[in-house]
Amino acid sequence: MIRAGRFLLALVALLATLAPAPLPAHELQPGFLELREVGPGRFEVLWKQPLVGGARMQIAPIFPESCRQVGEVRTERVEIAWLSTTRIECAQGLAEKTIAIDGLDAYSTDVLVRVQHADGAVETLVAKPVQPAVTLRGANDAQRGLWAYLYLGIEHILLGLDHLLFVLGLLLIVRDRWTLVKTVTAFTVAHSITLAVATFGVAQVASAPLNAAIALSILFLGPEIVRTWRGQTSFTIRHPWVVAFVFGLLHGFGFASGLAALGLPQGEIPLALLLFNVGVEIGQLAFVLLVILLERSFRILQIHWPQIVERLPGYAVGTLGAFWTIQRVAILLRAVV
Amino acid sequence: MLGALNSAPAHAHLVQTGFGAFYDGLAHVALTPADLLVVIALALLAGQRGTQAARWALFAFPAAWLAGGALGAWIPAEATLPLLTTLTFGIAGALVATDVKLRATVVGVFAIVAGLLHGYVNGATMAPGGAGALALAGAVTAVFCLLAIVSSQVTTLRAAWTRIAVRVAGSWIAAAGVLMLGWLARA
Repeated sequence: MIRAGRFLLALVALLATLAPAPLPAHELQPGFLELREVGPGRFEVLWKQPLVGGARMQIAPIFPESCRQVGEVRTERVEIAWLSTTRIECAQGLAEKTIAIDGLDAYSTDVLVRVQHADGAVETLVAKPVQPAVTLRGANDAQRGLWAYLYLGIEHILLGLDHLLFVLGLLLIVRDRWTLVKTVTAFTVAHSITLAVATFGVAQVASAPLNAAIALSILFLGPEIVRTWRGQTSFTIRHPWVVAFVFGLLHGFGFASGLAALGLPQGEIPLALLLFNVGVEIGQLAFVLLVILLERSFRILQIHWPQIVERLPGYAVGTLGAFWTIQRVAILLRAVV
Repeated sequence: MLGALNSAPAHAHLVQTGFGAFYDGLAHVALTPADLLVVIALALLAGQRGTQAARWALFAFPAAWLAGGALGAWIPAEATLPLLTTLTFGIAGALVATDVKLRATVVGVFAIVAGLLHGYVNGATMAPGGAGALALAGAVTAVFCLLAIVSSQVTTLRAAWTRIAVRVAGSWIAAAGVLMLGWLARA
């Protein structure tokens, strides 16, 4: 037991050394570029630059050469981003033109590009670090880009290591299939509620305490996993779906950081929210299915892992939960003091 | 023969999912036909030969893939060795189709050879595309998961028609290999 404790301590210290900067689990604040056509070839521009460690992300849109700025640039700081507005005039319009985001390749986030044409048709595209430019098709082919929200949802869960680790922790304490269904459903319902609440702007949670609370939810599962190893029981082990629901509410606010930060027009929120949530569910179910299938495969193939390997996922949940809790509480305290 | 082995120049390519290097490596295996087919064929073969052979393949193949991938990234090849990679999945498919009673150790040795070869080509083509250790880890994870899931399912098959279905799948993979070899010879 003492050896295991030392091992965990060493692992936490190692992780702290390797990752002095906050892990990117909740750093996925996408940028947002909105272009609204107010006249032939004339666009109102809204440019939202997220904050990274309190500083403005060093990214900027590059418009086609046929475009020129015709209005003043007004910039203001909002809670989690810098907002700039201006007007541009594009002699040949924006159909089939490319907009690039300079500097995006230096970050691990995306920029959602939304273009509203004069006839009301909307194009929504995602510029990524590996592909920091998008090509517009024009009003005739609009609405195609709504799938961008689905992509953002899948990306948010697949890169949200803390969410996946929480789900893994739940899977490790669940004993039977029916409890598994109840637990996964409870988590889904709960995070869908708060995702909607946050996206519609009904309630907001500051990111620093939220991230610390999410880390705490993962750490909370660590001792519960150990109890299952020892054959003990607890309220969480008997009713994991309750814990999944309660903490799922927190994680929903975390998911919302990928969507609420964009400041989408009210009319587009319901569909964007639906697709984003479906994307999150696709990623989450794929992960759950993979874990279940792997567990079943190891059982069929009669693979007997050494105890340390068998318990590694549990150790990972507890250790990373502890690490993130310390790290994020430190960030929270720094912000407060 | 040596000319045929080196007939295709290596093009740096890496599937870009936009989800980061780990998922890029994962998708690279899923979207590279020779890689995907060799994993499926080996999984069918190992599953066909029972749990012991499946266990051998499950640990030998990804480990060899990792070693080969690291070697390929370190000493990139000038060519992608399409003849050898096609031969490996074609032979694996043929072994499944003919239901040859191989011993578990033979399946393990085959897994090591195929893993080293495909891993090497994988690393050699991914590394110049900017992929690092994380992409290789993604590729090996994909190989491990796919192999574990498919081979374990095949070991549970008891009905005669399901065993035939596995052999049919093997024959399709072998046929794909023959077609590919013909195309390579023509090129």
